[in-house]
Amino acid sequence: MQLAENLRNKFVSKAVRNVQRGYMDDDKSRGLFRPEVKLDLQRSRLMTESFRETDGQAMVLRRAKALAHVLDNMGIFIREWERLVGYQTADPNGIYHPIDMNWKSVLRLVKSDAGKALLNDAERKELDGICAYWKGKSMSDRQQEMFTGDLGKYWQYEGTYLWTHWSELGIPDYETLLREGLNARIKKVEERLEEIDRTIPLDYIEQKEFLQSVIIVLKAVINFSNRYAILAEEMARSEKDPERKKRLEEIARTCAWIPANPPRTFLEAMQFFYFIHLVRYLEYSTLGIGIRLDYILGPYYEKDLKEGRISRDEALEILQLLWVKFLELGLVYSPLVTSVYGGVASLQAITLGGTDKLGRDVTNDLTYIALEAAKTMRTIEPSIALRIHKDTPDDVLSAAVDVIRTGIGYPSLFNDDAIIPLLIKWNVPLEEAKGYAVSGCVYMEIPGKNVTRRAVGYFVLAKCLWWALHQGMNPKTGEQRGARTPNPATFKSWEDVLDAYLEQVRFFTTKLSQVENTCRDLYAKYCPKPFYSAIVEGCIERGKECKQWIYPSMVHDFIMVIGSTNVADSITAIKKVVFDDKRVPLPELIDIMNKNWEGRDDLRQICLNAPKYGNDDDYADIIAREVHHRTEAVMETVKDRFGYSMRGDGSAVSATYGLAIDTPATPDGRFDGGPFADSTLAPQPGMDKKGPTAVLNSCAKIDTLQTYNHLLKQKFMPQYLEGDMKPVFLSYLKTWREKKIPHIQFNVVDKKTLIEAQNYPEKYRDLIVRVAGFSAYFADLSKGLQDHIIARTEQQLS
Amino acid sequence: MRKRKSKNTKKGLVFNVQRFSIHDGPGIRTTVFMKGCPMKCLWCSNPESQDFFQNLIVRNLNCKGCGACVSVCPQGAIKMSDRKGRQIDWGKCNQCLICADVCIYNSLNVCGMYVDIKDVLDEVMRDMDFYKNSGGGVTISGGEALLQAEFVAAVIAACKKMEIHTVLDTTGYAPWAKMKAVLKFVDLVLFDLKHLDCVQHRKATSVGNELILENMNRTAKERRIWLRMPVISGFNDSEQDIQKIAILGKSLNVIKISLLPYHEGGKTKCEQMGKVYPLRRVKVPTDEHMQRLKELIEGEGVICTIGS
Repeated sequence: MQLAENLRNKFVSKAVRNVQRGYMDDDKSRGLFRPEVKLDLQRSRLMTESFRETDGQAMVLRRAKALAHVLDNMGIFIREWERLVGYQTADPNGIYHPIDMNWKSVLRLVKSDAGKALLNDAERKELDGICAYWKGKSMSDRQQEMFTGDLGKYWQYEGTYLWTHWSELGIPDYETLLREGLNARIKKVEERLEEIDRTIPLDYIEQKEFLQSVIIVLKAVINFSNRYAILAEEMARSEKDPERKKRLEEIARTCAWIPANPPRTFLEAMQFFYFIHLVRYLEYSTLGIGIRLDYILGPYYEKDLKEGRISRDEALEILQLLWVKFLELGLVYSPLVTSVYGGVASLQAITLGGTDKLGRDVTNDLTYIALEAAKTMRTIEPSIALRIHKDTPDDVLSAAVDVIRTGIGYPSLFNDDAIIPLLIKWNVPLEEAKGYAVSGCVYMEIPGKNVTRRAVGYFVLAKCLWWALHQGMNPKTGEQRGARTPNPATFKSWEDVLDAYLEQVRFFTTKLSQVENTCRDLYAKYCPKPFYSAIVEGCIERGKECKQWIYPSMVHDFIMVIGSTNVADSITAIKKVVFDDKRVPLPELIDIMNKNWEGRDDLRQICLNAPKYGNDDDYADIIAREVHHRTEAVMETVKDRFGYSMRGDGSAVSATYGLAIDTPATPDGRFDGGPFADSTLAPQPGMDKKGPTAVLNSCAKIDTLQTYNHLLKQKFMPQYLEGDMKPVFLSYLKTWREKKIPHIQFNVVDKKTLIEAQNYPEKYRDLIVRVAGFSAYFADLSKGLQDHIIARTEQQLS
Repeated sequence: MRKRKSKNTKKGLVFNVQRFSIHDGPGIRTTVFMKGCPMKCLWCSNPESQDFFQNLIVRNLNCKGCGACVSVCPQGAIKMSDRKGRQIDWGKCNQCLICADVCIYNSLNVCGMYVDIKDVLDEVMRDMDFYKNSGGGVTISGGEALLQAEFVAAVIAACKKMEIHTVLDTTGYAPWAKMKAVLKFVDLVLFDLKHLDCVQHRKATSVGNELILENMNRTAKERRIWLRMPVISGFNDSEQDIQKIAILGKSLNVIKISLLPYHEGGKTKCEQMGKVYPLRRVKVPTDEHMQRLKELIEGEGVICTIGS
């Protein structure tokens, strides 16, 4: 406990503040990052050096050599309290920027008011030089150059979707990696090279270049670890404090052994994992990657415990140290991406619980210790995803509720009863489905498999409805951007509205996927990932880089949908107000919305009074079900470049707020730019009036099997999770599971506290709230987003 | 749609159906609040439950000043002025409720709905899964539910048939025959008690407590009781008062005694209905005092909770 307190005073929060979109004036002055955070140019500098030397070689080799150059030469350090080492920059206050992806936005950033403190003048000058090299070579440049015609028109953000760059996920095959060590893997690659030397396959050169690049990166990772071993040994030699000397010697021993060899102890396994995790970020700047922590590392702890090498307290301490590592991993995103990742550092998520391949519960002592680490550390990352199934021990759930009770917003709960059947529907074999994990907010992962997906983008469904009410033409500019659907004046029923909306969904999903599929070809060609390919199953065996083939399932390609509730409530309002009650003809309603309800507050009120999703009222819920099921069916008709269906996903981050700004007024009574419901299954804030059970009943009407992995967020007052009420809350969760709702997470904080925190941020520096699929420091959020969180319905109890 | 008064006597007058109710009996429950009460407790926190007819509730905050109500009121009881906003002359208002029908801003609302047994059951059945897992069920509360004993009996009989756990929350102020008819289908009784002294009781509630105490004794022979008592400073919160309650609770073998500290929740509601809130300058009991009373009851060997 003491350690947690000490650590909490030492770590540096790298979370970005979302001051880019939806900010209020006073937010701007707070800067994009906390003042102590600096931009570290090391990765950019070293990558550039390497790239200058490898001009003309195959891209996979160039990227392997660049990564190796970074790992061989980046500045390393060991802090006084550390037992786990490894850092993404040369300084604990550093964040880095992926220059290979994009240089324009970082240049803009360091020259803007929000980011000028990130660099000094000399560094700014150096950055200019680095950027000059990447001009025309960064992925962003290549996209801009390649996207012409329709692609050029539809890749830019206009408000209907935000095509996302970079975010590539997947979970390595940690089971095999830890069992065998990297030396074994290198040996495997060498054998494969010998084999192709004998068989000379048609793609011999491509295979050979790929396999050589894998050897380069794996050796570099081993060398990286050895550098820490040498540094620790040197530091130990001159260290007087016996405690610290012991720690340094331990680091030296650990880093000299792993990751080349399989770990022998819990600490070694943890350090092994962390090096892999860290190098993934250094190879490719992404968000939201994770591990099944208890399942993978629990057995190492249990073995140590049995053999008397470790105590529970020590394991807790090691986890707390890992938590600091997670928290301090931060990088710079583009300003637009920042707008949807307000309050985020890098969205790492660890999965706990669930089952093994045979369906046996995997929870172990480490499950509890990890929950305790979360409770004591109270950091925004890593977020914990807890898999719940019928054999999840009551004690695990009870411990999880105690963590939720503290208000940090996690663990968020995933329902195996809903998700495993969904994965099977997506052609994931049963055994592999049972081993699923979670990353990002609610991304589904099949650990160890080549799921090299990118999140395609954020898709504003409510804007599709708006296009449907305007025949795909922007009434302000006259631009025909969406599909030319029928004139709303001809609509005879709400089904006609739904059909026109679905046509717009089809139109924009097609455009979005064209951009995405083209871009992926570009990434396959110019941004291969030899390291990631080396740590998932199948790439070495095939001699193929991870982007040249995929795990055969539609688990891959998803579009994060936003505003589904608003679409449903809007169509319900149209049914009620226009077609059932005939209060106003549809064209007139559209006209009034185009004026943002000005002068017609009465009609807005009538629309607000129409039934709303989330009250267990079939009038609204049945339309919501139709909207969800049919939207997904339409999205699935569009395919990725391997022929698998696109699909939805509930990971909306704070985009439900950040992107809502660009959707005009909607018939549910929402104003121009007003926030959307904050998750795919959530009612519109303030519109659920019948309490949490009614919300769950509404959610249960939407079939997970006909849709996708949703997100549902509810807000409870702390007193409902403690004392006499705790068993009631646990029974509530049991009913949630039985209703096969795929996900739930809770914001546990009372309104009074939030308002107080808004007024006195200095007193509430570490108040954490759940934003969407992630937790953030409340003080880092923009005033508007804070207001939005305050306004969310507190589940009112008698 | 608002359900307006009908001649059908099979309908019940309900003023709220509260789902995820977790203080009115065990587990997750749905509480059906029946409208109408024979008692007039000074501290009543649900004054909208007292009248055995529908009445108008005004929420001025929601008013946008559209004036629709002014023009429809047949009594000319509503006035709109720039300075004071909307004013209702409660002396003129005859609760015809026409104004509430035209108000789209939820500023004028009708309290009370005439509903069928089926309407209540439809709502109650929606949370069956939650009852099953939490050991919850349905609670019939009020007002005084026994004022509509026939309707209530029919509702809970139907609930019992579906194996839903049933709770009756009552003041006990009703003819025993009616109470007995209802108790047949009730698993647990939340019995409210205000004061053991009859004179004091009459002073504060408008009725004596003889019938209540008699019914309580009779009920205890048939069903387990959970005793609930509002704690009103200066009225029933002396250690002596509480001691007596504890002894009574023990003799009746109650499950527990809940002490409900006085709060001013009824005040705003009175204003919203044009009624005068009868209590003035009554203090909310302190946490320390509540704790002392709780310990006193526990000293008699009876379980005691504060708040629920």
